[in-house]
Amino acid sequence: MAQDSTARPILVELQDVHLSFGAAEVLKGIDLTVAKGDAVSIIGPSGSGKSTILRCINGLAQPQAGRITVAGTRVDTLRNEAERIALRKRIGIVFQQYNLFPHLTVLENITIAPTRILKVPRAEAEALARDLLARVRLADKVAAYPGELSGGQQQRVAIARALTMRPELVLFDEVTSALDPEMVGEVLAVIRELVRDGLTSILVTHEMRFAEEISDTIAFTENGRIVAQAPPAELFYRSGNPRIRQFIGGFQGYRDAVQDREGI
Amino acid sequence: MIDQAVRTFVALAGEVGLHYDFLLSPSEVRPWIAGMGTTLLLVLLAIPLSLAAGVAFAAALTSGRPWLAGPVRAYVELTRNTPTLVQLMFAFFALNMLLSKALGGAANNPFTPFFWVVAVTGLHIAAFHAEALRGGIEAVPAAMVETAHAIGFSSFEVLRYVTLPLALRTAMPAIVNNLVNLVKLTTIGSAIAVGEVTYASIMIWTQRDNVLELMIVILLFFGFINTVLSQIGRYVERRLAVPGYGV
Repeated sequence: MAQDSTARPILVELQDVHLSFGAAEVLKGIDLTVAKGDAVSIIGPSGSGKSTILRCINGLAQPQAGRITVAGTRVDTLRNEAERIALRKRIGIVFQQYNLFPHLTVLENITIAPTRILKVPRAEAEALARDLLARVRLADKVAAYPGELSGGQQQRVAIARALTMRPELVLFDEVTSALDPEMVGEVLAVIRELVRDGLTSILVTHEMRFAEEISDTIAFTENGRIVAQAPPAELFYRSGNPRIRQFIGGFQGYRDAVQDREGI
Repeated sequence: MIDQAVRTFVALAGEVGLHYDFLLSPSEVRPWIAGMGTTLLLVLLAIPLSLAAGVAFAAALTSGRPWLAGPVRAYVELTRNTPTLVQLMFAFFALNMLLSKALGGAANNPFTPFFWVVAVTGLHIAAFHAEALRGGIEAVPAAMVETAHAIGFSSFEVLRYVTLPLALRTAMPAIVNNLVNLVKLTTIGSAIAVGEVTYASIMIWTQRDNVLELMIVILLFFGFINTVLSQIGRYVERRLAVPGYGV
């Protein structure tokens, strides 16, 4: 966890971002700032636009208004595929459903992007992949296919895959929501370690205890807006917003279970 | 040695009333064996053509670009819905004629009847491959495609490394089916005097009136090719199989 986020350069900045899908207004003016080395969690009720914020940051969704800047690149003005690819090479993303390529082995899933996109020599890409697999504690699964792995293992491979391009930023989109409860801990442990090593990350999550523990800042979204943005202790325990207190409170019982499961 | 075996076979077949006497006449056997070679060559050329064109058509159909998908869709419908024999006649008598004219006479036209059989059967079956592959491409979950884009792949790379390999696995049984049909389809070459095995057989039976005898051989010949083809198809399917996906 970074200590003083104000002293470090801004990596991601969203200013008054608006996005609608047809008549449905999903984002109604999002402002968010992430400094290099920060871990920012986005929490809030379902349908409040959390995942859409992430999709805007790597150009998977195109906002109708507002500015998005990632490491000096204006994301909202990217108009063609080549420009979006240049951006996406620098941003890793991990999805709720892992989405590993089922016809490729674990090693191939991790090396395909660097070898095909960055033209990194195969041996070099494989060496990095093995390092990353060791970091997510799956060194023995190099030759396995995704279909042979548990959900938690697949998600850890997906995290390794997101790191393989040495991204400046990694987006985690509800990465534990599809997992069986006993597998959540192993995935969170990997993310915790990455954040401690200084990875800049934005996490959409329902794991309140986890968000509280690793985040420098927590943003609370509701109905297409970020209604509060503060360090975890402040947002969790000193928020004057009744809606936030109610939302966090709803997770209190759940938090104890998480605590037990992770053995913290 | 072989001579002796052929003689014995002809004699034995004669006993049960099957007349394979032509096998003892080199001037008749040679073009007939060559006909089998021609059939095999047609198959060996038309199969890769059909696969390459099928992939290209499927890519066009799923490209999301109307100027690309539209004409290919029209071609696929046209070729699927009309008889291949008529297509071959049209290609050979109409297109080929126009080409000859444009090139200043048939002598300058490099395209042989053999070429037109390969082109028409290959491109006809390609339309069926394209539909099978399109189905497979569209069956790849949208989230998988989005992930591939998020990783930094271009649209072409998504097709090349993700959707097409997955579609191929789904479409494999249909593709093998199409190839089996392609092998049988090469017999339409006889309509424009390409000396493949049926044409060569017709040449013999019009002289000797031994249709049944030659039909038996033709059936065995195609049965053999397609059995081999199906086995190769199964082998490829097994090789491509991955745990936890589709078939």
